[in-house]
Amino acid sequence: MNKLIQIRVIPIIIALLLVSLASGCASTQTKGVETNNDTLEPVNRVSFNLNETLDEYILKPIAEPYAKYTPEIYRSGITNFFNNLTYLNVVLHSFLQGKFGQGLSDVTRFIVNSTLGIGGLNDIATPMGLPKHNEDFGQTLATWGVGQGSYLVIPLNGPNTVRNSPDLVTSTLLNPFFYISSAILFPVAALNLINTRANLLEATNLRDEAAIEPYTFTREAYLQQRLNLIYDGNPPIEGYDDIFDDFEDGSSDGATLNIE
Amino acid sequence: MVAFVNARKFSCWPVPLLQFFTASILLVLSHSAFTEETTDDSYDAAIEVVEQLHTVLLKVMQAADSMKFSERYSTLEPVILESFDTPVIAKVILSRYWKDLTPQQREDFIHLFNQLTVATYASRFDSFNDDVFTTITVKQLKKGRILVRTEIQSNGDDPVKLDYLMHKNNGQWFIISVIADGVNDLSLKRVEYSTVIKNNGYEYLVTNIAKKITEMESQKEK
Repeated sequence: MNKLIQIRVIPIIIALLLVSLASGCASTQTKGVETNNDTLEPVNRVSFNLNETLDEYILKPIAEPYAKYTPEIYRSGITNFFNNLTYLNVVLHSFLQGKFGQGLSDVTRFIVNSTLGIGGLNDIATPMGLPKHNEDFGQTLATWGVGQGSYLVIPLNGPNTVRNSPDLVTSTLLNPFFYISSAILFPVAALNLINTRANLLEATNLRDEAAIEPYTFTREAYLQQRLNLIYDGNPPIEGYDDIFDDFEDGSSDGATLNIE
Repeated sequence: MVAFVNARKFSCWPVPLLQFFTASILLVLSHSAFTEETTDDSYDAAIEVVEQLHTVLLKVMQAADSMKFSERYSTLEPVILESFDTPVIAKVILSRYWKDLTPQQREDFIHLFNQLTVATYASRFDSFNDDVFTTITVKQLKKGRILVRTEIQSNGDDPVKLDYLMHKNNGQWFIISVIADGVNDLSLKRVEYSTVIKNNGYEYLVTNIAKKITEMESQKEK
């Protein structure tokens, strides 16, 4: 068992070191000033196309009937179960961001849902006033002042940023399922993958309905959502004014926003 | 301009120091201007524009089972045309490419974008799940722009934040962007459409917007 953990952990630790190094190099931005730093766009587009193709031909065709035929009560139980498994990562990052009250609430939530909620199948903590939070390593690093770094599209994974990529390590190491035998792990991981994809069907359908250029659309939406999460749903509103600057500094064809 | 005049008047002052001093004052003033939260009565008219849109959206959602896409479209069209300042939205979205368009192309784009907005609303607001819209607050931004913060709560789901970026044009309040859970439609489309024009040209963009509208119509009319 120890050997198994070593085999799994060592590559992840190496990846963590590399990514930390990369994010250290990129850590010049402050929390409020994010730019769409897509310096790896050519590589990202290759990964994006790979992910989209695999999704179109393998994952989505499984997730759609799964969503259609699985009763809602089972789907929400499965979603609750996997959310609970990943919740220790939220607990850690609530504390690392100095949100001690929230951290205590998150610990209690994990304990309550794991025990009274039957291994997390039932989310009984939310009605008890212990709401679900969304925290991860990327948000912690942002709170500590680390810059976003380049936008990344990770093959077989999806949109990410250099700053957020170490979260792949902490979220894996803090997931209790990481430590069980592969015979059980793989079917459970497959169920998690299909269930997660099914939960994203509505969002991806909306994207497909709206996007003329899916790569750019996904990147912009992802980066804006990340900023929203970093600020716990209240990103600085000053940023909303920035896109009008071109029209109001006299450099454009009109000094005001009004059309002619 | 004021800073420039002052700099001449106090020419014995080191210019960088003056600039720093002026910039600091401007920074403090602008900061207080756009972080101030307000419940000023003067924004009632802006809130009314948003709430009127929400009222029609609720009407369309509640009647979703009996209304076809085309009916939802025609019900939503007047309120959307009245609430959104599409000429300004189009100009901001097409950014540096706007000035290269002929007056006819601009007019056509505004018309097409109106169709896209109405079709998107008609497509997305196609079911009712005891949804409730709530107006939360109004925040001031720069140059008279404001942010009307609202949220929509569906039964059993987490509430979705809907913030409306608004400005006044000829004495009337208009929506210029909708920000859903932090995703700003205006800035997203601005970057996306610029990329499309840069890589494939303006005609490709308008052809594909028209295609999206037709797709939404045919998928939802089934």
